[in-house]
Amino acid sequence: MALTPEPVRVGVWPFVRLKLRITGNGLRGRPARIVMFVLGLIAAGLFAVLGHTIFAVPGLLDRPEVGEILFPFGGAVLILGWVFLPLLFFGVDNTLDPAQFALLPLRRRTLIAGMGVAALAGLPALATFAATLGMVTSAAQLGGPAAALAGLAGVVLGLVFCVALSRAVISAFATALRSRRARDLATIMLAVVAASIGPLELTLLGVLNRADWDSVEVIARVTGWTPLGAPYTLGLDVAAGRAWAVPLKVLIVLAAVGGLLWWWSRTLEQAMVGTAGGSRGRTGTTDARGPVDQLLFRWSPRSRFGALTAREVRYWWRETRRRAALVTLGMAGIFLPISTAFAGGDGSATGLAFVVGAIAPIALANQFGYEGSAYATNLATGVPGRLEVHSRAAAHALFTVPLLLLVAVVTGLLTDRPGDMATQFGTLLATYGAGLALVLPISVRAAYALPDTTGPFSLSSGGGFSKTLPGLAALFGALIAGVPVLVLTSFWPWLGLPAGLVYGAGAYLLGAHLAGTMLDRRMPELLAAVTPR
Amino acid sequence: MSLRGLVKHFDTRLAVSGVSLEVPAGSFFGLLGPNGAGKTTTLSMAVGLLRPDAGQAVLLGYDVWHSPAEAKALVGVLPDGVRMFDRLSGPELLAYHGLLRGMPADVVDQRSRDLLDVLELGSGNRTLVVDYSAGMKKKIGLACALLHAPRLLVLDEPFEAVDPVSAALIRDILQRYVSGGGTVVFSSHVLEVVERLCSHVAIMSDGVLRLCGPLAEVRGERPLQDVFVQVVGGRVATGSELAWL
Repeated sequence: MALTPEPVRVGVWPFVRLKLRITGNGLRGRPARIVMFVLGLIAAGLFAVLGHTIFAVPGLLDRPEVGEILFPFGGAVLILGWVFLPLLFFGVDNTLDPAQFALLPLRRRTLIAGMGVAALAGLPALATFAATLGMVTSAAQLGGPAAALAGLAGVVLGLVFCVALSRAVISAFATALRSRRARDLATIMLAVVAASIGPLELTLLGVLNRADWDSVEVIARVTGWTPLGAPYTLGLDVAAGRAWAVPLKVLIVLAAVGGLLWWWSRTLEQAMVGTAGGSRGRTGTTDARGPVDQLLFRWSPRSRFGALTAREVRYWWRETRRRAALVTLGMAGIFLPISTAFAGGDGSATGLAFVVGAIAPIALANQFGYEGSAYATNLATGVPGRLEVHSRAAAHALFTVPLLLLVAVVTGLLTDRPGDMATQFGTLLATYGAGLALVLPISVRAAYALPDTTGPFSLSSGGGFSKTLPGLAALFGALIAGVPVLVLTSFWPWLGLPAGLVYGAGAYLLGAHLAGTMLDRRMPELLAAVTPR
Repeated sequence: MSLRGLVKHFDTRLAVSGVSLEVPAGSFFGLLGPNGAGKTTTLSMAVGLLRPDAGQAVLLGYDVWHSPAEAKALVGVLPDGVRMFDRLSGPELLAYHGLLRGMPADVVDQRSRDLLDVLELGSGNRTLVVDYSAGMKKKIGLACALLHAPRLLVLDEPFEAVDPVSAALIRDILQRYVSGGGTVVFSSHVLEVVERLCSHVAIMSDGVLRLCGPLAEVRGERPLQDVFVQVVGGRVATGSELAWL
């Protein structure tokens, strides 16, 4: 007879132990991961020390007015970092995936508490806590033990708010991204946001240079009354004799945390069943054309080359990771010259545009990894290596060469030297060709499997740093290889376009030939390398 | 298809140790074995997707590793667990396969439409293969393998995750293909299907070929299930342990 056990009361410690155990098992016997973990440890330690020092400065120098601005803004940046950094760069900490608890008889309240506490037991939380303790140091210097106590309470509250906010946002995000289309869209959006950070930073710096400090102080005071800044101003308030503000601000933060936990618990349930019910694809509209015309473009030759190129072009658009790479490249291509031109010095704008030609081929450094084991199709049908390499480069060039032309035109217009456009385009082609020549053999020799995931968060978390090193080396190689053409154009600008074209095409042909013969010898090994395990 | 002494190591593990196999032309050949027996590894080496550490694979008289172009032109492959170019729609994927095989565009169109209609995938269907159900993915994979009318079909787990109606359809297509002179080699662990379809079977476990021959000889008087369990070993019944269940 089956027993029906009483619902057990589970505390939060099993969750914490589970998380630590999973982290430990993930490291066992994997030196590369241990190295990454230690590097993460060092980075977190540096962050903690640096943050602590910065936040302790107002107290040590006895300058409370600096703290009045630094604390709310610094705290708000930290909190926003908790939301956006995992989404953009690090990937979400999914050590404890709610879906794994779906079948266990746990109350939602237990689950929330457990997962929340488990999230606190991690490097980011510890580093944030250590860094913000600097504010307590400041408060103690400025206002004695009472201020320090209030500051400590605020810092702890702030940490809880960070964790609750990031968990709630990520959970809601994960729920919203159940369908493949939504996930694809989110990946692109994240790429756009990530690519626009650089230009934003430059703009922000420009604004700060001209800002007047009165308005900054007002904004800081207002921020101090929002949940973003409230926890971090408690100590200062006591030190400045505004102790009456403390209970109000604590209430604000507590209400915000409560609201977030409620939101999280709503979406958590959906996240738990999320993996069970897969997304159903739309039954698409019908297309009356023949299959061949559906695949090929009007201009494609009706041959193997045409089929390979058409498939690559469609993949650059339909495969999200590739489209994200294209979007990032586009943003870099347009905004690098623009933002440096605004920052002043048109010489640097020309120089940065030159870099775009070298960045462009990097998207191909792991071109076989994007499609993974689907490469078996080309292997089973016996596509020769040269044809494979040429068709892939042709599809990439279809997107890239117009972009390079655009970069040359934009740079020419911005620097007010339209005559230089052709020269600029020539040097871009030279670096692009040289980059391709370096990247194509790398894509055959140093291919690696990308995680076979449907999540949009694996944008940059997969792969590992060491695997992307050959691509970075190719970037610098292409820059160096482009220098001769750059030098040539500084003497005879009119030579830029023809020389760049010939130089780039020659380099490309050499690299493609090398990569093609290499591929002919290594096809099964390449397939094995890009097949996710 | 003829395999001679195929060996494959993965790191230190021996996945396939010296498999030799003769598949007679015109036979319907079932490769059986439990999970992890080395079926997929063997078939991958046979069609040139995985380089063996030792041994030879000869398809219709051509060595896969010495004259790959000729050998691959005569074979249709449905690899298991291998993603297709799934960001294409079904018709696009078929056209891609056809053009890669060097077929004229009008023949590709004609045959793709036929296959899509017979397999009920729809020749104007714009849904991407990534959004297909598991059964539909198997069917489009089979269509890709059949498109160039190969003389040998190598199918890895063609009946896995396929609903009964589609399975019957696939069985019918394969039977017609064999009666027209083609050769089918497929792996499976669904014994009923193998018993119903195959003229020849081979049983693998732990990377070694245990039994091989015409179905009647291998089976004798017993059901194939009993032969399989006896050859492979392993437990099929519980003792007194789970009394609390």
